Amino acid sequence: MGGYVLKRMIYMVPTLVGISILIFMMVRLLPGDIVTVLAGADIGSDPELIEKAREQLGLTGSYPEQYWRWISGVLQGDLGDSLRNSEPVSTVLLNALPITAELVFLGLLIATVVGVPLGVLSAVKRDSKHDFVARVGGLIGVSIPSFFLATLLLLFTSRVFGWVPPLNYVPIYEDPIENLSQFILPAISISVFTLAMVMRMVRATMLEVLGQDYVRTARAKGVRRKVVISRHALRNALIPVVTVVGFEIGILMGGSAIVEIIFGLPGLGNTLINAIFNRDYPVVQGATMLLAFIFIFANLLVDLLYGVLDPRISQE
Amino acid sequence: MSEHEATESSAGGGTTRRDVVVKAGAVAAGAVAAGSLAGKASAASRYSFATPKIRYGGRLTWALEQDPVHVAPYGAILTSNHWGKQAAYDSLVEWDKDLNLKPALAASWKIAADQKSITFNLRKGVKFHNGKELNADDVKYSVEKMLAPPLPGSITTVSQVPGFESVDVISKYVVRLNLKTRDARVFGFLAWSRYSPIVPAGLYDQINVARNAIGTGPYRMLEFVPNDRVEYVANKGFWKKGQPYMDGMTLKTLPDEQARIAALRAGAIDGATVSSDGANSLRGVSGLTVLKGGTAAFRELQFTIKGDPKPWHDVRVRQAVNLAINRQTILNAVYGGNGNFSGIVPPGYGPWPLTQAELKAKYQKYNLPKAKSLMAAAGQSKGFSVKLSTFSTPLDFQQVASVIKSQLKAINIDVEIVAQEPGTFAANNGTGNFEWDLTARGMRGDVDGYLSEYNPSNAIYLRWYPLWKNQKVWRAVGNGKITLDPAKRLPLYKNAQIELQNDLPQIGLVQVNKYQVVRNRVKGMYVAFDDFNTGLRNTVWLSS
Repeated sequence: MGGYVLKRMIYMVPTLVGISILIFMMVRLLPGDIVTVLAGADIGSDPELIEKAREQLGLTGSYPEQYWRWISGVLQGDLGDSLRNSEPVSTVLLNALPITAELVFLGLLIATVVGVPLGVLSAVKRDSKHDFVARVGGLIGVSIPSFFLATLLLLFTSRVFGWVPPLNYVPIYEDPIENLSQFILPAISISVFTLAMVMRMVRATMLEVLGQDYVRTARAKGVRRKVVISRHALRNALIPVVTVVGFEIGILMGGSAIVEIIFGLPGLGNTLINAIFNRDYPVVQGATMLLAFIFIFANLLVDLLYGVLDPRISQE
Repeated sequence: MSEHEATESSAGGGTTRRDVVVKAGAVAAGAVAAGSLAGKASAASRYSFATPKIRYGGRLTWALEQDPVHVAPYGAILTSNHWGKQAAYDSLVEWDKDLNLKPALAASWKIAADQKSITFNLRKGVKFHNGKELNADDVKYSVEKMLAPPLPGSITTVSQVPGFESVDVISKYVVRLNLKTRDARVFGFLAWSRYSPIVPAGLYDQINVARNAIGTGPYRMLEFVPNDRVEYVANKGFWKKGQPYMDGMTLKTLPDEQARIAALRAGAIDGATVSSDGANSLRGVSGLTVLKGGTAAFRELQFTIKGDPKPWHDVRVRQAVNLAINRQTILNAVYGGNGNFSGIVPPGYGPWPLTQAELKAKYQKYNLPKAKSLMAAAGQSKGFSVKLSTFSTPLDFQQVASVIKSQLKAINIDVEIVAQEPGTFAANNGTGNFEWDLTARGMRGDVDGYLSEYNPSNAIYLRWYPLWKNQKVWRAVGNGKITLDPAKRLPLYKNAQIELQNDLPQIGLVQVNKYQVVRNRVKGMYVAFDDFNTGLRNTVWLSS
């Protein structure tokens, strides 16, 4: 196991280097830079002043030189400073990361806590009313974009209940109730797609597992139905669910940006989108590298969890 | 529900020299008339709020549509930066809501006989938020930072700063601002305050100016949390007696309009800026008031006149385009019939712009037959194809571009609309990398800000239209910049605008309305012509 983890960690290095080069180039291929954004306030900006501003912000030199300056800083733990507000990128990311992490955690919690039982129920009561409702609901869930649902939820609660989530971000350790009131709608918004996927996947795998010989054997031995479902069938049916949830961690960390913007949450996605509009290269690069790392790391965890859930799966 | 609307612009009525002198005299006892009053903004919103006795106290939450990103006082201060810092800082002078010049931290001033220096007498006893008293050293420090803004500001906008040369501290409360040359832009620049707050000396060594502020403004900044909010509390020692009216306010960043609308409905915020569609959706909602007013942001069609010959290098083609555009149709189709025609100085910008009557009856009158004959005279009866770049968002830019495209078909101009992400558009526009642009202009501290681009001394001139030449305009704009007497200055800029309406290196289109929705408990708010939320810091109070 240790060797496997080490090998996977080593594989992460070229992947992250590749991503860093890709992101570095992509943001620079966008027309304009931070200086043109700033100079937009003054169309008569002197070209000399514009060049000086580029020097001031460290945007001079060839791309390889700029990349080297940035990556050597990263290797020493310095992600650089924001071009827009001069804050260290690490501070910007550390402020934003817990918010997105909480949002994603709550979203996945809702998705699994609701999706797994629904999937089991749907499989066990196949072709019943429950199954029909769950399947149609699942179809809607995978079809509805999270930003659309977020907007609908906001408009619905404001019109019907005269309520919207509290606006100013409060950390969970300061006021858990206020914090959860703030996160409940965004978490539901980002959870629905994953919930539907989990539900459908659990249903499909449960149906497959329930038809297996060992399940029939257990039933024939007189094991109670509930025990067969929960101990024998569900554990095996959960393996693909772990895959989905694992992937979703990475996807939702970056993909929750629009939902964060809609609900005014100062998370990582919100920060990244603003940084792209502002051509704030260090923040874009830092945030993207962080998301890439989280994505790769989540995949590694998923692979390791396979072995825990099913000892037949070897990590060698 | 009630709605307060801006009155129709009667801009262009002109301000007599006597008016100007009276105004200056009223605001600066014993001082010589200030040179660059923007004058009265007749299109600025006027409200018929009942005026019961002002009630003190309460906290207001206002939604911002963009994150301030930072609240540093100097450098390239984008609109959203200024939203964040506006309540914390003051300048030496200020505008009222009609853009009349008023004393602020300077109680009075005197312009030297050679007009190359201005001596300001500072208000005594003004305290910064940290308790320090304002003095001449603070003004000197502030001006020096305006001229060389440290990070996170940027020197890219230093050309916005008038020709300040140096600052002499005469005494504790008297300071002299020396100019490189006569410069009529000084007072507008200072009054706008976007780039010219007065801060305590040594501020940049005392706090992180990106996240905190120490000024003399009516509200003291408690904290700025990027992408989240700015928190203010009342400055109890504010130098204007009886102000501020509220205990504090929160500026909450809510970029999504539907979220702002939902929050307004739920009473979670007290006010926000919304689109005209958003305002329509809130009409009739109990407890909310829709405010409407024109701002300095008008829409404009730009040409590049450089490089290989193009059909629009011929003035007759540009004139044909101008005549083939029906501005009223644009207002009806895109803005629900609301808005004004606009030349290159927006209606409402004091006495400077051409009047609506002049624009509608003469310079911007829709006349398709004449447009066709001009195209024929230019040898362009069969027309040509052209790329029209514009912003991808807000959507009204693309909508206006579509109307223009359909209108110019009538003179056989085939317009291909290219929608660009704002940063891309700004980059291409700033470098002159376009054929035609549908763009917008914003607030300027001085009228020169709208006309300086037609003078070759402005760097942008060579990037946009080096092949366009008009010495009358060059002369008027050049002289206007150094003419401090508004009465002498006004005809220079009027003539320049008339000349530009005939020569049309750029075509002014329409001025659009801005909508803000407030809860009924919010009193004294108005749609500020300068496109900021100026009322929040100056006039707003809460009735409950």
